[in-house]
Amino acid sequence: MSVHTWLDLGWLLLRDAWWSAIAALGFAVLFSVPPRLLWGCMLGGAVGHVVRTLCMQVGLSIEVGTLLGAMAIGLLGEWLARRTRAPVQVFTVSAAIPMVPGAFAFGTMLNLIDFSNTADASTGQMLLWQAAYNAVKTALVLAAIAFGMTWPALVLRRRRPVV
Amino acid sequence: MSSPDVVSSKPPLSRETLRKIADVCLLAGQLLLQYGADAQRVEETVHRLGTALGAEWLDILVSPNGLLVSTISHGEFRTKMRRVVRHGVNMQVLMRVDEISRRAERGECDLYEVRGALETLAAHPPHAPRWGVIGLVALACAAFNQLMGGDWAAFGITFVAAAVAMWVRVNMTQRAFNSLLVTLATAFTAGVVVLLVVRLQLTTTPQTALTASVLLLVPGVPLIDAAEDLMTGHLVIGWARGVQGGLISMAIALGLWLAMSVLGVPR
Repeated sequence: MSVHTWLDLGWLLLRDAWWSAIAALGFAVLFSVPPRLLWGCMLGGAVGHVVRTLCMQVGLSIEVGTLLGAMAIGLLGEWLARRTRAPVQVFTVSAAIPMVPGAFAFGTMLNLIDFSNTADASTGQMLLWQAAYNAVKTALVLAAIAFGMTWPALVLRRRRPVV
Repeated sequence: MSSPDVVSSKPPLSRETLRKIADVCLLAGQLLLQYGADAQRVEETVHRLGTALGAEWLDILVSPNGLLVSTISHGEFRTKMRRVVRHGVNMQVLMRVDEISRRAERGECDLYEVRGALETLAAHPPHAPRWGVIGLVALACAAFNQLMGGDWAAFGITFVAAAVAMWVRVNMTQRAFNSLLVTLATAFTAGVVVLLVVRLQLTTTPQTALTASVLLLVPGVPLIDAAEDLMTGHLVIGWARGVQGGLISMAIALGLWLAMSVLGVPR
C-alpha cells in the first residue's frame, strides 16, 4: 500500500475515534456516570468503534467487526473497572452505544412503511425482502454487542454462585 | 447453593435485628434494581451487605417488579418483599450502593450508618445539571450523524432536533408521563424538527439526520441487562427487560413513522 492509502486510513480511524468518543460521552452523562470516570467511557467508545471500522476496512462483515469491537470494549471495561474500582457496566454500556445499528433499524422501518403503501406484488416482495435483510442485520449486530459486553463476566470472572 | 446449616462463628441475631437487616437490604436492592443494575449484581451486593451486617445467610429473589429477601441466623429467619418500579439509569447510584456494601463488609459502618447513607441516596440521587445533559446528549446524536456519514448541515440539524427532543423527554418524565408515551412523543418531536428543517434543502443526507436524532432514546441498558440476565440464568427478569427494550424500540419507530406520515419520507 502507498503512503497515501495509509494516511487516508489513519485519518478515517482518527475521525472515527473522535466522533465515537463524543457519542459515548453524551450517553455516559445521560446515565449519570460520575465526571471523574467519563474518560474511561470515551476511551471505550473510541476503541470499540475503531476496532469495528478497522475490521470492516480489511474486508470483514459488520457483524464480525461489531463482535470484535464489543469484545475489545468488554476487556477494556474489565481493566478500567479493576483500576478505578467501579462496576464494569459503568464503562461498557456507554462505550457500546456508538455501535448500535441505528441505520439498519431505520432502514427496516422505511422498507415496511413503503411496503404498507404499495399495491404492486413484485415491488412488495422486493420491499419485504429488503426489510427482512435489514432486520436480520440489526438483530445480529445487537447480538454481537450483547455477547461482547458479557463475555469477560462469563469467561474471566467464573465463580461459584454466592446466592 | 443451599444455606449453611452448620453452626457459624457469627453470634446469633434476634428477630428484631434480622428484621432491621432485611429492611436495609431491601432498600439497597431496590436502589440497584430501580437504577438499572443486572440481577446478578443485585443478588451479590445485597448478599454482601446482609452478611456484613451480621446475618449468617441471605436468600434473595429478584423479579421484574419486586424484590424478596430472607435474612437467616442460627435457624431464625425473617422474610420481606418490596415492590420496585423502574426509574431509569443512574450509574452513580449503583456505584454508591456498591461502595456502602463494601464499607459495611470492612466493618467501617454499622446498621444505622448504612441505613442513613442509603436513605440519603434514595432521597437525593446525584445527577448532572439538566442543560449540561441536554447539550451533551444532542452533541452525541450529532456525532452519530458523522459516524453514519452525514454531512455538516445534517450535523447541525441533528444537534437542534436532538436537543429539542431531549428537552421534551426531560420535561415529560418529570411530569410522570408513561415512559412509552414519553419515548413516542420524543421520537415524534425529533422527527418533526428534522423533517421541517430538511425542507430548506440544506443537506443531502436527510436520512442520517433523522436516524441520529432519535438515538438518544436507544434502550441500551434494558437490552444489555436483558442479555446479561438471560446468560446468567435469571430468565424471568431477562425476558421482562428484553420485552421492555423491544417496546421502547417500537415506540421510537412509531414516533418517527407518525412524523413521516404527516410530513413525508425524505429521499
